[in-house]
Amino acid sequence: MAEPILQVRGLVKHYPLTTGVLFRKQVGAVRAVDGVDFDLARGETLGIVGESGCGKSTVARMLVNLEKPTAGEIRYKGEDITRLSGKALKAVRRNIQMVFQDPYTSLNPRMTVGDIIGEAYDIHPEVAPRGDRRRRVRELLDVVGLNPEYVNRYPHQFSGGQRQRIGIARGLALRPEIIVADEPVSALDVSVQAQVINLMGRLQDEFGLSYVFIAHDLSIVRHISDRVAVMYLGRIVETGSHTEIYDHPTHPYTQALLSAVPVPDPEAREHRERIILAGDVPSPANIPSGCRFRTRCWKARERCALEVPPLAVPAGFRDATGPVAHDSACHFAEAKQVVPPEADGAESGRGR
Amino acid sequence: MLLDVRDLHVEFHTREGVAKAVNGVNYRVDAGETLAVLGESGSGKSVTAQAVMGILDMPPGRITRGQVLFEGRDLLKLKEDERRRVRGAEMAMIFQDALSSLNPVLTVGDQLAEMFTVHRGMSRKDARARAVELMDRVRIPAAGQRVKQYPHQFSGGMRQRIMIAMAMALEPKLIIADEPTTALDVTVQAQVMDLLAELQREYRMGLILITHDLGVVADVADRIAVMYAGRIVETAPVHDLYKAPAHPYTRGLLDSVPRLDHKGRELYAIKGLPPSLLHIPSGCPFHPRCPMVRDVCRTDVPPLYEVTGAPAGRGSACHFWRECLHG
Repeated sequence: MAEPILQVRGLVKHYPLTTGVLFRKQVGAVRAVDGVDFDLARGETLGIVGESGCGKSTVARMLVNLEKPTAGEIRYKGEDITRLSGKALKAVRRNIQMVFQDPYTSLNPRMTVGDIIGEAYDIHPEVAPRGDRRRRVRELLDVVGLNPEYVNRYPHQFSGGQRQRIGIARGLALRPEIIVADEPVSALDVSVQAQVINLMGRLQDEFGLSYVFIAHDLSIVRHISDRVAVMYLGRIVETGSHTEIYDHPTHPYTQALLSAVPVPDPEAREHRERIILAGDVPSPANIPSGCRFRTRCWKARERCALEVPPLAVPAGFRDATGPVAHDSACHFAEAKQVVPPEADGAESGRGR
Repeated sequence: MLLDVRDLHVEFHTREGVAKAVNGVNYRVDAGETLAVLGESGSGKSVTAQAVMGILDMPPGRITRGQVLFEGRDLLKLKEDERRRVRGAEMAMIFQDALSSLNPVLTVGDQLAEMFTVHRGMSRKDARARAVELMDRVRIPAAGQRVKQYPHQFSGGMRQRIMIAMAMALEPKLIIADEPTTALDVTVQAQVMDLLAELQREYRMGLILITHDLGVVADVADRIAVMYAGRIVETAPVHDLYKAPAHPYTRGLLDSVPRLDHKGRELYAIKGLPPSLLHIPSGCPFHPRCPMVRDVCRTDVPPLYEVTGAPAGRGSACHFWRECLHG
């Protein structure tokens, strides 16, 4: 891999739990993110998947500096941005922008679309000279497929899909290199989802963007990602290329997650194996010892309660070549195909 | 025939005008059958269900035409107190958001027991015992203790199980589940759908599953009705619909879903946006977004044509369904 544009090392976010009003005493911590490492290469899309509470959104918020990490490093082009402040921080933040999940609450209802997108230039005037801003904003609207005549409209005059386009235009305004998108399409209807996903794909090619794409929908992540990281209770449990993760998962959690995703094909329901996990995700304030997935794992043995499995190529696959040899934090990792293989090689759906 | 909805029309009077939410919906459900009603937001799928259940807010809503025949009886002609006896005992509903559908200041046991004291006239003690049984039945661990807890003390998946227990309590003949797993994570969604399917088989209930998720539908449905702008645009047995859709909207939906078992760069996207219910387009409501549109589509509203040459019971509201089916 070429020199990564972003390197995350040992990233941790703990929220303290306190008791007492006058004399606050820390009694524990919600370990939302508990040691996360990954790299992001230039021009690539890293998909982060996981269920609610796994810490994926907290990771996103730390990447764009909306949350301060408790520990760990976020290196942008080799420089740890968690230690920056003032001007140096401001310069870096320009290059890492965010697209939010909910297009209904992430746009200020009292500002026009032009002001929402152009606001970034008030903070970073070096990107666009004052006289040029109006033109830039109209250009951006055009790029995301909205009519440039709409600059003076307000967010409520747009549909959900159009609002998400506005959110994307705002993210692009400062010409960043990295876009962190936190569930950017999960609030949208199916027919509109496809439009926004295609738009993001096109913009990536056009501007050479790198994406960190966070979602709970595994089908969308497969569609858009080059590499995928699966999170569970604040840690990455398995990571690899999309083929490695989807066609050759070795971590039992990934296998269960993939097998639970409904596939829009009624023929598949008879011959598909389902792994139904027992119980719920434990609270991040009370993480199980050893492997944090063991309380729901059908393979758990004594060793799992004692030893934390490292995120590395499992011992059994160390000599293997090919797609099974990828990082998986499980003592008893096993290859298992849970997604039906592509039937007819059709690129999407029935191919049209 | 358990439920037969005929030519149902529902309007909402709003400040901006009359919103035509449901415009002539017909569907039927047999005992033991699962009908999936598929549609995007604003398609009228939930409003239809609310009208069937008799929980539509009126005003602003108004049922302007149609019949809801439940075992041959038109529910729309019943008085409110007769209707109330049907609701809960003979048909029940499961909602998307269990937390806001349960009473936060009553224990789940009290809420479950209430079903039996109100509808069955049981003593509080017997009702409480039945509540524990029910919680056991929907596989809530340690039901005996948890019956005394409040809704906020349960996880999302467990709350949805309580909703299912409540709907099942009086062994209704029909259950309407409105996006029952949309708020849940996939691994929990799988648990809940499994449970629902098992209970349905056991009690031979009719199930109407309202959803926007083409994956969930493919997993559990027997038949599908696809709704768009308050109309059913296509209805078919589940296998046929996925194999060869007979309406361009269905085709577009199927093609626009990213799939777990495929990876492709560009997704097919239906152009444009769903229509506003205040200004439904003339002719076929899908015509402004349709890749197959012709002049007749702009002027003539297509009826639900019977799709011939297919297994009985297929219908498509497209003038050119033949081309769509074979194209």
